[in-house]
Amino acid sequence: MSTLLNSLMTELRRGTLTLAVLSQLQKPQYGYSLVRSLEEAGITIEQSTLYPLLRRLEKQQLVTSYWDTTESRPRKYYSLSSLGMEVYQQLKEEWLHNSKQLHDMLIEGGNEDETD
Amino acid sequence: MKLIDIYIQEVTRRLPEKSRDDIALELRSTIEDMLPEGYTEQDVKDALTELGDPAALAREYRDWPQHLIGPRYFEGYMTLLKLGLSFGAAIALIAYLAQQAAGFTGEEPFLRLLPAIMIGAAGSVIEAAMHVFFWTTLSFAIIERVDPIKDGQLCHQWSPDDLKDLPDRAKERKISKIEVYGGIFWTAVWAAGYFYADHLVGIYENKGNGLEFVTPIFNQDVLQLFWPVILVIIGMELALSLLKLYTAKWTIKLAAFNTLLQVTATIVLIIMMNHSSFFDSGFIVYMDKVFDYGWERWLINGSIFLFFLGAAYNIYDGFRKAKH
Repeated sequence: MSTLLNSLMTELRRGTLTLAVLSQLQKPQYGYSLVRSLEEAGITIEQSTLYPLLRRLEKQQLVTSYWDTTESRPRKYYSLSSLGMEVYQQLKEEWLHNSKQLHDMLIEGGNEDETD
Repeated sequence: MKLIDIYIQEVTRRLPEKSRDDIALELRSTIEDMLPEGYTEQDVKDALTELGDPAALAREYRDWPQHLIGPRYFEGYMTLLKLGLSFGAAIALIAYLAQQAAGFTGEEPFLRLLPAIMIGAAGSVIEAAMHVFFWTTLSFAIIERVDPIKDGQLCHQWSPDDLKDLPDRAKERKISKIEVYGGIFWTAVWAAGYFYADHLVGIYENKGNGLEFVTPIFNQDVLQLFWPVILVIIGMELALSLLKLYTAKWTIKLAAFNTLLQVTATIVLIIMMNHSSFFDSGFIVYMDKVFDYGWERWLINGSIFLFFLGAAYNIYDGFRKAKH
């Protein structure tokens, strides 16, 4: 039961990860700073998922990257490309719209349960 | 520091060469970001625990498929595999029997060789099956990776109109796969029998030490005269089997094609059997000893009659099933 619940929850979260990551890349971030800012926002993401996800987003040309070698250690910075910005805006709208509908539906459904 | 090096190696050695350096550099800077000032070995272990199993991390990095044949191609793969296996087995069987027949001296009686021949035939069928399995799987594994129809872009958009072209697989009209593959197998068997009739089809007698091949029944030279038209019939039979596999039911078109095949085969048989030296001379001598004069006419007419009945029923049965 709990493993099933876990896998369903993982599945539920997986789709939102891209959106969460894109939202944090409006300003350039390196890997670990991204982890921190996601954590601060209350979003947990496995680091072993995050770094490969960043590379995939780069391959899909949603983000661009550059190496910053001016500091004590070299860091790879990622930020949204113009395509990424466009996609992010659309995904965000879609999510807000869907989550509102789902929210309304779940709350109404909850009320029905109570009156039955 | 050593642990970090080995961890990074464990990840990158599983990745394609060209992305290794970049990922290694990024991983190192990330891990160092995670560590506090003046870290201990325990801090390193904690950081690596957070990143998890290097094999799992490498798996996330790879965008190469992690399966041999994915769901998109699996169905096609299975269909082609079954088809290839049945054809491969049939062809291997014919080839093996032909090879045996060509080397057949007649010194050993055919039936005494039978167990060895059956084992050899099974061996070559299994060998052919392994070849088919290997090459089909390899081809599909490559297609899966080259992937010409990525994300179904080139795929034909499905519409309900597609259903009109498809057979209705209602049970009573369905042609079983056993019938199809059995048909292909039967074609292989009689074709082998035809081309090597002088070694395979004959009178066998028990003369004390097992069965001996006394005389072939047919005159191979006369049989051989008809090879082009026999090849046409073999082709038609194989085509019929494939059509059955595709339509999965009897249709009027299929029944018509079957009629053409049966009529052709009957005509060829009649012409062939009425050739003046259709039977082997040894067979004629043998039969003359056993039967009265006139057996030849009886045998020819009887055979043709039986074949005719069989063909007629076969044609009728096809149309009956198509109309049903």
